[in-house]
Amino acid sequence: MLSLFRTSAPEGRLDAMPSMREEPPLIVILRRLHRLAALPGDRWVTIATLGFVILLWAMVTNLGLVRDLFLPGPALLWAGFVDLFEEGYKSRTLWEHAGLSLERVLGGFMTGAIVGTVLGLGMGYNRKIEAFFSPFIEFLRPLPQLAYLVLLIVWFGIGETSQIILLFLTGLPVSAVAAMDGVKSTPVQRVQAARSLGAGDWQIFRYVVFPSALHEIFTGARLAIGVVYATLIAAEMIAGSTGLGWMILDAGRFLRSEYVFVGIIIIGLMGFALDRLLLYLERRVVHWAGKS
Amino acid sequence: MRRSLTGTVNAWRLDRSDASRSSTKSGVLRGWMRDGRWLSIVSVLSAFVAWAILSAFRVVPSDLLPGPWEVFRTLVAILQDGYRGTTLWQNIFATLYRCGGGFLLACVTGIPLGLAMGYNSKIGAAFDYIVQFMRPLPPLSYLVLLILWLGTGDSSKIALLYLTAFPIVTSSAMAGVRSVKTQKVQAALSLGAGQWQVFLHVIFPSALPLIFTGARIALAVTFSTVVAAELMAAKDGLGWMVFSASHFLRNDVIILGIIVLGVLGMLLNRLILSLDAAIVHWRGVE
Amino acid sequence: MNSKYIETVIQLGRRDFMQLVAAASGAAALSWPSARTAWAAGMNPDMINAAFFVETKPTMIGKGQGWFEQSASAKFNWSEVGSGAEINTAMAAGSIDVAFSFGSSPAAAGISQSIPYEVVAMVDNIGPAEDMVVRKAANIKTPADFKGKKVATPFGSTSHFRLLGFLELHNLSQSDVTVLDMNPNAEVAAWHRGDIDAVYVWSPAKAQMLADGGEHFPTSQDLDAHGYVIADLIIARTEFLQKYPDAVTGIIKGYGRALDLWKTKPDEAAAIVAKEAGVTPEVAKNNLGEYDFVSLKDQLSPTWLGSPGKPGKFADVLKRTADFLVQQKSIRSAPSVEAFEKAINTEFLSRAVQG
Repeated sequence: MLSLFRTSAPEGRLDAMPSMREEPPLIVILRRLHRLAALPGDRWVTIATLGFVILLWAMVTNLGLVRDLFLPGPALLWAGFVDLFEEGYKSRTLWEHAGLSLERVLGGFMTGAIVGTVLGLGMGYNRKIEAFFSPFIEFLRPLPQLAYLVLLIVWFGIGETSQIILLFLTGLPVSAVAAMDGVKSTPVQRVQAARSLGAGDWQIFRYVVFPSALHEIFTGARLAIGVVYATLIAAEMIAGSTGLGWMILDAGRFLRSEYVFVGIIIIGLMGFALDRLLLYLERRVVHWAGKS
Repeated sequence: MRRSLTGTVNAWRLDRSDASRSSTKSGVLRGWMRDGRWLSIVSVLSAFVAWAILSAFRVVPSDLLPGPWEVFRTLVAILQDGYRGTTLWQNIFATLYRCGGGFLLACVTGIPLGLAMGYNSKIGAAFDYIVQFMRPLPPLSYLVLLILWLGTGDSSKIALLYLTAFPIVTSSAMAGVRSVKTQKVQAALSLGAGQWQVFLHVIFPSALPLIFTGARIALAVTFSTVVAAELMAAKDGLGWMVFSASHFLRNDVIILGIIVLGVLGMLLNRLILSLDAAIVHWRGVE
Repeated sequence: MNSKYIETVIQLGRRDFMQLVAAASGAAALSWPSARTAWAAGMNPDMINAAFFVETKPTMIGKGQGWFEQSASAKFNWSEVGSGAEINTAMAAGSIDVAFSFGSSPAAAGISQSIPYEVVAMVDNIGPAEDMVVRKAANIKTPADFKGKKVATPFGSTSHFRLLGFLELHNLSQSDVTVLDMNPNAEVAAWHRGDIDAVYVWSPAKAQMLADGGEHFPTSQDLDAHGYVIADLIIARTEFLQKYPDAVTGIIKGYGRALDLWKTKPDEAAAIVAKEAGVTPEVAKNNLGEYDFVSLKDQLSPTWLGSPGKPGKFADVLKRTADFLVQQKSIRSAPSVEAFEKAINTEFLSRAVQG
């Protein structure tokens, strides 16, 4: 929080005015909010629609048109959230459940994405590698994850092992196909140009092909994390005893709709945040995207 | 022409697959060998052989990994006697019905909405946040709520699949409209086209590639989700068959179910890819 | 952005699109309530949606021999469930009309949340029939030995209720002991694979695990003494029993007939149960013997459900169950005893007894 009040030099932005470099971040934030409030049209439509939905929700539940069981009202939802926040759920705090879920997602995603990307790069480069691995990738990709989770449980039992292997296998084909496509769509002229300048194979890979493929790799990564995340929640419901997915399942057994809703909202926000995080990473890393 | 993940086709590509093809018979075979396509067949065959060996020599206990022959026998048995009162066709049909129903409903409602959202920034602003929030939401998390609201029959499952596919299709349609080059629109208008004609002949066709990409991804995700939907309150379907088999220690049925699901998934993928190629033949051409 | 430019250039049928969207959402909104009742309704007196467990109880006789269908003069659409929690969900959604062997613990949860059903009869007082089975190899001799072990039970069921009571009594938390939610079938499979160390469940699963390297870890007497009484019930959706009272009376009569068969000809009864539950007749007879099947007449006494206008003590059992669930934060709040008394409807039972 302290950093809000301290100034920091922006990293070499050409458009930063000298005066802005001295303003504390808090002022910058306030300025931006002011600009937001002054924005016409679209932003207000969004806020208005969301506000309308919330109002409708509050009215419908307050008037008792729908029972608490089916649709808890805003007040109840808030109470549920506070409750979960303060007292946790079944002897674990909300942070613990969320943290465990996040850990599993990131672990599964990263292992699957890294191995998948490497495999995909190889497949993009060498047709023999592609020919060898593509039947497995083509079979694995559309295969519903929960179906082979059952098999994994048969082989590895209930617990973290099955879940991690499942998430690994979920992310792998998506990343592999993305990396492969990225390599294959490298413009040939660039490769030829690099070769004519005397570049070796490794240099071509590092400076031409890989950067060119990065956009697709990141797109694939965003897809992968989405699928891995969805699969994790399902896996926690089947073979878990902790985590957000398990929490929803447990609450659902007793029809504690407000906990279920809060859980869904948290899961949704976390998924949204993960996606945005990757988008941000892509923008930082692949700042040349879209330019030929 | 290969289509990349984002749906773009770049003609100047490293992949010179077209060049290696030749028309003579020996040329085809040589091209085939060079392509390495025989390797695909080799890898699938070796996987099968490995499976057969692992189970035949009891490297893995036979109750954990039934061999290919056993699974085949199970297939025959199920085709004859069914599984726990359901036939294989019944299960396949139930799964496809739910998947197709949810997917088609999502397309029918999502594509128009997405087009509207792309056209009109106010509509876009009104619905975009909701759609973006729905996207990363894992389907199984709200299945319980759907069962509460819609009962234990097919409605709750189709609703789940609908809600899974809807945001994907909608945002693709919106992106499709937004990707239309304004010069084209201006050109059409300057030739005297009316609003509806502009939409039908310029905007919609230009948006179609992205719409199809979205539909492909949506179908794949929907198919994965239908198995999850059959986890709770289901009496038939391939997913139900796999889960039920796991409870009764019928590992052969589990493997059979997985193979059928995998093949179905691949077929659905091929189907929509060929639809894409057939309809959107102008993909990648500027 | 492109779209804004197109908008200003074209000024297109914005109205057309908005009208389309409005019409679509209007149609959806209008059709929603009627669509929902259409899904829920569409039953005629000819079809009754019933939930059941695969279990070693006379209910299996009534189902297997078609006695329920006979006395209720209706066809039954049977749905197998693995836990009372599924019945609560299905009842709330209106997907089922009648449920057999619905546990007192999910019943207490459901009544507390005003799910619209009523208790019309008892199946049994469970007692030792549901209990803890531990894997011999896991070496669990005392309650403290459960720390770090994996215990499975169907969440929301009477077994779950007992297990929670057990953990509570011996000061074990859910981070000490890993409690897994599994239906009886899944438990047998997991047990066989060695995935879990203990289960709290009913037969036939319980018997199967005892025979597969398991041993009894007695908890029921202790728990009953501390008030964790559990029972199985027959319930019917309120709207259903108001519309088809004779069918409900008939169902209870059918159950009475099955119960009579067990009381008078146990071997024959055990054979039928064995076939329905997929166990041997000896195992079936054994399991049947563990339950206290309260006769229809005795259920009307003040000890149990009571008679019309004179609620029995069972309402207190439900209330105490609900209070414990509140304490466990499984449900938000428990209503007063009167609410439970109102949820027990013995009219059909008394009519069935009178014949």
